[in-house]
Amino acid sequence: MGVKQVKQKEQPKQKEWVRLDNASNIFLAAMSTTDTKVFRLSAEMQDKIDPISLQKALEQTYAQYKLYHSVLRRGIFWYYLQHTEIIPKVAPEVLAPCSQLYHFDQKELLFRVIYNEDRVHLEVFHVLSDGTGALWFFEDLIKEYILLRYPESLDEIKKEQIEAKVRHLEDSFVTYFRHNGQQSFTESAQSALRNFARTSKRAAFKYGKKFGRALLTDRTVPTKKRRVYRIKGEKTADNRTKVIELEMPVKKILHLAHQEEATLTIYLIALFFESIRKSKSDFQIRDTIAISVPVNLRQFYPSNSARNFFSTVKLEYTYTQERDPQLKEICASLAKQMSQQLSKESLERRLSRLISYEYNPINRLIPRPIKDGVLKIINYSNNRNLTVAMSNLGRVAFPQSIDGYVNRLYFHTSAVRPQFSVISHGDQLTISFTSPFIDTDIQQQFVRELTSAGVEVTLAANKTQADELRGDF
Amino acid sequence: MKRCTHCQVSVKGDWDRCPLCHQELEADSKVDSMSPYPDIPLRFDKKKVIQRLMLLSLLIILVVFTLGLFFPSPLGPLRISLFGIMSLWLVALIIIRKRRNIAKGIVYLIVSTSLLCVYLDYMAGWSAWSTTYAIPIICISAIIAMFIAVRIVHLKVGDYILYLLTATLLGFLPATFLFFNWTTWAFPAQLSLLMSMLMFAWIIWRHGKDILTELQKRAQI
Repeated sequence: MGVKQVKQKEQPKQKEWVRLDNASNIFLAAMSTTDTKVFRLSAEMQDKIDPISLQKALEQTYAQYKLYHSVLRRGIFWYYLQHTEIIPKVAPEVLAPCSQLYHFDQKELLFRVIYNEDRVHLEVFHVLSDGTGALWFFEDLIKEYILLRYPESLDEIKKEQIEAKVRHLEDSFVTYFRHNGQQSFTESAQSALRNFARTSKRAAFKYGKKFGRALLTDRTVPTKKRRVYRIKGEKTADNRTKVIELEMPVKKILHLAHQEEATLTIYLIALFFESIRKSKSDFQIRDTIAISVPVNLRQFYPSNSARNFFSTVKLEYTYTQERDPQLKEICASLAKQMSQQLSKESLERRLSRLISYEYNPINRLIPRPIKDGVLKIINYSNNRNLTVAMSNLGRVAFPQSIDGYVNRLYFHTSAVRPQFSVISHGDQLTISFTSPFIDTDIQQQFVRELTSAGVEVTLAANKTQADELRGDF
Repeated sequence: MKRCTHCQVSVKGDWDRCPLCHQELEADSKVDSMSPYPDIPLRFDKKKVIQRLMLLSLLIILVVFTLGLFFPSPLGPLRISLFGIMSLWLVALIIIRKRRNIAKGIVYLIVSTSLLCVYLDYMAGWSAWSTTYAIPIICISAIIAMFIAVRIVHLKVGDYILYLLTATLLGFLPATFLFFNWTTWAFPAQLSLLMSMLMFAWIIWRHGKDILTELQKRAQI
């Protein structure tokens, strides 16, 4: 296994557990050997990783994040997160990226910290946390590591503290805000939605009543019949995720996005759509390409919960027979859909629906295997209406004194369909494509679109086939 | 670092061909860069596994048909080979799927092998050998096997006790065979009942509290 785990001698006096929220159940229903629902955050440091410092940093960070002291168990009605005394161990990278973290019959931590050469990876099971929540843990881990590995950075921090007190205060507020919700296991493992509903002015019972209404009103009614294009292909030999990782200067690509009058996210999605259209021979004119994009709800509703707190928007573009569209047109259409779906009313509706689902009393009495089955069907029908997916974690900055020790950040997730994940640090943007398939035609088209526009791209990929691993490639 | 002149990208690692377009890479000796992704050996190769299992299944058919020439059976070679392949796949699947939880794996095996025996008995014209011998013997050996297995692999009580209880309760099943007179000889079923009763008493005496704790946790509404 990626993380060797040792058990402490003392057992906790009383077992603590928190029932898993409904929203996280979908990950368990959708989990498969191909799509493990694990995502990975990586940092490329300046030097080779020192496992001893990394282990110390991990233990210090782990002590602050009670949520990560969890194992997942199955009950008759519920899955529940149970507190554990397992101490995580950093391990060299011996498993394929985003390998399964949760096995139904084993008590394992729901995350692992691994290293290879100059990179540190944090892999997290999506049931535990979302990208933003995991990024908090990862940032703290990297900070601790740098302070241990490069003690001279401490002196610089002191200097910096004197120079910029205000900024530091802001930073401490963020740290306090994050850590405040991490005090006890039950508090930190509690669903973000329940925390939100409890602390917000609206009483929780209100949502229970709203459930029926939300179900009736919030269905998107398909306006016309359309065929959502779905990518098919040969899967990798042992179901591992195929990763193609791109590094590029952020300025150049931002410039390209602005030329198309789009944000970076919208521009990259439009480029991805075009890459699919141009590279797939079975793509037919009038086909629709649909993408699912997660939206961090914390940016609209303040929450210090590290649990899953996001919603997804679905953007689509239907190609017409008349002519090939301009990239700008696709960008405009996508941006319009995005702003519609992120309007105040639409977000309120989303949140209400999520909370009402969480508080729905009928859900409590349905045995877990039936709930799993229903969620599997829902997930299957959702997948049928999606072509691809993407996720953008945005720009990540560390405190100035330690920022220079980190070269680049990377982010990718296991995938049931081709998708890409974006993160940036300093002046470097990284885009990681993940796919269950061995074909790389879409990625090739995407890269060629970028390089022909003058972007300098460096590429890395993992090996997924027997011939590649033998060195025939 | 190498370079693909077709895609216009620099490529990290020891690739000879471009990971995107599969055309040969050109050496770009300015910076030497290792792949950030180490070579991880394949856990299995789906193609090979399927090939071998297909071959094995064909072999079963061949052997059954050849044997059928010398030892004719009322079932016919087609049914027997189908049954053989089915049992092989079912048992292999259970062992692979439940390899991390021995206790649960044993419960699954009791149920599946018992059902397979009843099915075979039914197909062969019902002489009640499955209810007389097979199922009681499977139940008895499963209880013993689980009792030993959980000790060998040092499982925690909470992790196996409910499965041990399930296996023990399944051991009471042959009582229904006796009740409906589905047996030709009562002894194996009686023995299974006795074993289950002893085991049940032992579990309640030793682990009654653990069972309650586990049930409370797992059945929380």
